[in-house]
Amino acid sequence: MRRRRNIISVNAKQQEYVQATFQALTDALLPDDGSQNMMVYEYVIYGLNHYVSIQQQLHHKVVPLAYPTAVMLDAAATQLVNAQLIQAKPQPIFSEGRMFSHLSRKDRVRTLSRLENLQIDLYLLPSPFQNNAGMIQHVVDALNRFSVFGYYSEWPAYGSTRLFPPDYRKLEYFPINWQRVGYPGVSLGYRDFRGFLFTIDEVEGGK
Amino acid sequence: MNTNPDVIVIGAGAGGPVVAKELGELGIRVLVLDAGPWYGNKKWPKPNKGRGEAKESSDPNDLDGALFRSQITRLENDMDDLVTGKFRWGPADRRRTPWHRNIPDRALLWQSAGIGGGTLHYYSNSPRAFPEAIDKEWPIDYKDLVPYYEKVEATLPVEFAPTTTKEALFYYGAEKSGFTQNRTLDVTNTGYRPQPNAILPPNKHLMDPNYSLEELSHMEGCTLSGHCGQGCPYGPSLEKMAKRTTAVSYVPLAMRTGNVTFRPNTFVTKVLTEMNESGTHHAVGVQVRDTWTGETEEIQAKVVVMAAGCFETPRLWLNSDLPHNPWVGRGLTNHYMDTVTGTFDEKTLIDVVGSSSLNPFVGHTSAARLDYPGLGMIETMGESPGITAQTLFGFSQYGYNILKQDDSSLWEQQGRLIGSELNQAMRDYRRTLTLLIVTDDEPLYRNRVELDPNIKDEHGPVPKIVYSPSEKSKRRREQLTKIATNILREAGAKKVHRSDLPPSYFIHIHSTMRMGYVVDSSCEAYQVERLYVADNSADYNSLGGPNPTLTTQALASRTADMIADKYF
Repeated sequence: MRRRRNIISVNAKQQEYVQATFQALTDALLPDDGSQNMMVYEYVIYGLNHYVSIQQQLHHKVVPLAYPTAVMLDAAATQLVNAQLIQAKPQPIFSEGRMFSHLSRKDRVRTLSRLENLQIDLYLLPSPFQNNAGMIQHVVDALNRFSVFGYYSEWPAYGSTRLFPPDYRKLEYFPINWQRVGYPGVSLGYRDFRGFLFTIDEVEGGK
Repeated sequence: MNTNPDVIVIGAGAGGPVVAKELGELGIRVLVLDAGPWYGNKKWPKPNKGRGEAKESSDPNDLDGALFRSQITRLENDMDDLVTGKFRWGPADRRRTPWHRNIPDRALLWQSAGIGGGTLHYYSNSPRAFPEAIDKEWPIDYKDLVPYYEKVEATLPVEFAPTTTKEALFYYGAEKSGFTQNRTLDVTNTGYRPQPNAILPPNKHLMDPNYSLEELSHMEGCTLSGHCGQGCPYGPSLEKMAKRTTAVSYVPLAMRTGNVTFRPNTFVTKVLTEMNESGTHHAVGVQVRDTWTGETEEIQAKVVVMAAGCFETPRLWLNSDLPHNPWVGRGLTNHYMDTVTGTFDEKTLIDVVGSSSLNPFVGHTSAARLDYPGLGMIETMGESPGITAQTLFGFSQYGYNILKQDDSSLWEQQGRLIGSELNQAMRDYRRTLTLLIVTDDEPLYRNRVELDPNIKDEHGPVPKIVYSPSEKSKRRREQLTKIATNILREAGAKKVHRSDLPPSYFIHIHSTMRMGYVVDSSCEAYQVERLYVADNSADYNSLGGPNPTLTTQALASRTADMIADKYF
């Protein structure tokens, strides 16, 4: 029993670390809306952990990418701090975070930029990113896309069901960001028909 | 099907169902296999939750518009999420990951498995190719395609898009930039025009307040709901939906011939061939794998048509141990795209279009275009907020605007926006007009789909995609981006943002099984008789810039005639 508890605590610790790192990420990229960016870090983690699966002999394996990505962000941040290109603050913005979480917002973005431009020692990154430029660029770019799409799509409004398998989610309220940007959401139509410039039977080559 | 079909078609996207319908009408028995789910078929009432009782469907009475409408929720995350969306390149079971493609680059790939394939989420843009891009280069002439263009345009059907506020502003800007109307389907000159779209014209009562929008959404005709990219399921029945994905057009028409069966959830892993006495290979069938159960099966046929898309078709060839051809998977073109987004103030909008906002989400998602033979084209794009923010402000090869303040450029902002910049850009969303730049992309041998030497999924080695545009394509894109920026300025934009999209933005992909290299002018493989290609991969080039779907459907219609003539 004792042993089992340890495993759980190690996993819980790792989970807290991953969450803190992706909170630091979305905090740097998304608007400061006073609501911890609507928990979009969870969406990014879910996306990375459901992105790739491969076949290995008998086993069809999902390759979770959130943890190695968090380690990559910290490894890159550490390199840049050691090279005195950016500065670490004494306290992390989210308590379980490591070096990436000790950076200012702008320095977190600088870290992403140096990573996607491969301006770091790629040997010091964790697998599957070690010396793997294409994979680094693909995933670092995806961090941006996932954050932004999670934030401005209806995902936050799945509320308490947001991390359920997709077919079991339910919209619990109208997405706040849709309200903010003035998108009416699912629409039956709009009465904005201003006529046709011309129709197909009026043109050369038409019916 | 109780007995072997005459023809197997691999993929029920833009091209496959066209081949099936045309052959079915000639009395030829066709089985169409697709790797993804089937939305709108009563045999799979919950197509993402379980494999269902049936394996296949051939009865048009199985199709159900109300069911389709309940499944196509029009919510952008539910429908279009690249990882978990209903329209994704992956199995029907959304608890599982997408099917992996190794794209070692910043990349965004819009492909969808399922009956309807890429036409489930496409904007229904259906222009013909530029005649000069065919006549100077392809092994066939433009005039060979014209009767097939006409046939597909009449069948889908295609009509020029209606004008809403955002198109009115675009036409104004294009006119002020010195361009004139291009009133044609066969584009030989530069000019602007509405998109020829496979979308039914608006219902004649749309502007009549006596009809509620709820009523109108159950009547025939587009309601300008702006949900093209989310699959728009509006209409009185499945076959009369306004947005003409093949799932509501060619698929039901094929079923109505009584000779065509569609089977979803079926991934083709191998094309089976035999060699005759003279040493010639010919296709004899396929090996398939059920995506829910993993069960495999072999199905025989007299002819096999590959219509699995520009990545999967060459991958299937390479995984099938077919004869070596150095051009299989090579010559990939991608319309090397970019976007510019203009933000307008209320006064300008009131003066020009008589409305204080543009509301990019209203009307056809892409309803107006500028054709520019020799460079490519420019089209309007008005997506929902998440897709807008992701594509315009979250995806770029430029980097972060905030890290590169460049006051001398043509654009107030470039690349990714974050934090307060992103917030401001999205707060202006309702007063923005976005133009998509679509480049006449030069085919190069180095741009390719190949088998990844290290990664396999349940269907064998996965495709690895390598693409970088030529210098000529880069120059063309720059020119078009400047032209598009000028249109926005002339229309009165106060601020213009350029996304500078990365090359691996895969929406219009073509020419990985090029006519004249891998397939002959009838789209039959040079090295394997009875094996045909009926997707964008058979294109010789990128058509000069126009959206590829209509040309694929015209070619597929022509290919069906060729198959029937030669083998039946």
